[in-house]
Amino acid sequence: MKLFTALALMCAPQLWLEPQARVNPDSALVEAFEGKVADYVKMRKAALDGLPPPARTMKHGELLREQHEIADRIRNARPEAKQGDICSPEISGELRRLIGLALSAGDKARIQATIRRADAVPVQLKINGPFPDRLPQPSMPPTLLLNLPSLPPELDYRLVGRTLILRDTLAGIIVDFVPDALPGTK
Amino acid sequence: MKKPFFAFSAALCILELIFGQPAPFTFPLQQDSVRFAIIGDSGTADSHQFAVASQMVKARAILPFNFVLMLGDNIYGGHSTEDLKKKFDIPYQALLESGIPFYASLGNHDSENERFYAPFNMNGKRYYNYRKGNAEFFALDSNYMDPDQLDWLGRQLSSSSAAWKICYFHHPLYTDARFHGPDLDLRQRLEPILRKYSVNIVFSGHEHVYERLRPQNGIYFFVLGNSGELRPHDLRPSPETIKGYDTGRCFAMFEIVGDRIYFETISEDGRVVDSDILPRQPT
Repeated sequence: MKLFTALALMCAPQLWLEPQARVNPDSALVEAFEGKVADYVKMRKAALDGLPPPARTMKHGELLREQHEIADRIRNARPEAKQGDICSPEISGELRRLIGLALSAGDKARIQATIRRADAVPVQLKINGPFPDRLPQPSMPPTLLLNLPSLPPELDYRLVGRTLILRDTLAGIIVDFVPDALPGTK
Repeated sequence: MKKPFFAFSAALCILELIFGQPAPFTFPLQQDSVRFAIIGDSGTADSHQFAVASQMVKARAILPFNFVLMLGDNIYGGHSTEDLKKKFDIPYQALLESGIPFYASLGNHDSENERFYAPFNMNGKRYYNYRKGNAEFFALDSNYMDPDQLDWLGRQLSSSSAAWKICYFHHPLYTDARFHGPDLDLRQRLEPILRKYSVNIVFSGHEHVYERLRPQNGIYFFVLGNSGELRPHDLRPSPETIKGYDTGRCFAMFEIVGDRIYFETISEDGRVVDSDILPRQPT
């Protein structure tokens, strides 16, 4: 009986405490990001409703017409879109942390060399604005792509300067971006 | 069995030392051999691109190659109808009219939507593979080497029964050109897969020079990024350089016959700047 009382007293404080979070807060942010990305893809699908899927092969002119049509439909479907809609401050923080993790490992020098040599040129950071395809496309270090949450084929990541851009691949437009995603040089 | 081949290779080296340029040899032109050409960083629409294209047409009298690999930067600048015409259709008109297909990979100056452009034979894919005779070709997108692409490549290579596995993509894993240099992060992620599945040859562009390197971990590496663009005197040859050419534009053509690959690299003025016969590496 004494033993039972002692055990009950030891466990009692646990009863007043908040239940322990079962989800890693970092994982929850990644999950929230993936949810917002899924919402974008759903919105995009609705916006492109009635438009035939891109032909696997096209002739002159059809390529650009197709791209502009897709971009216009997406812009019209999210005219009020603004920076942070998908990459909220909390999610941006998590993406910065994941990039920082990649850079803090032994891969840092290699990744930075790849970024330096990526031929990135300044891009006007405007949501729904074009990611110009007449400029060199900055290549992404594979190690960063391993660390960042995976994206559906409709979207990809691009680094321009220190900014991580979320780009619609077919439409060639900026969907959202994370400023200061790469640590600055001190 | 291997003695005649090595004797022949040694003879070629001696001739190269004597004459100061690669010794000419005759392509075997064996029935059912795999014959192809490569161009890289070509889409400038300037007179040099046309000069290289013209040499390609002439070279078909020596080696009637059946298809062309494009190592990226296929279209520089804009991608309008006019751009596609003057940077691809018109320069290579004679080859296209002869029914020679081009198989493109994407460079950093290309629009990703080029993958839908019919004459590039990408069928809407950023990365893809195809079989020709005893060789399988893997065109990769080195602008965006995401985990999905790495997984795909591993799966395709592991299931390939081809004697020759040839990968091509824009950014070089090894190069002695100094402007960009090798992409070390790409090398870190990609090369283990190439080695694991015994890839024989890797072609890249990006650096606007021609370069053939000593085999790295058993793989032959070529850089050819000067079929339109050129960065003169950009090469700093190292002990790993077998042959470099950075004072003019060029293309290269190859014939695979059994366990040998024969190739010539030809400048825009028709000179052979490199040639050799390479054995297939033991697996």
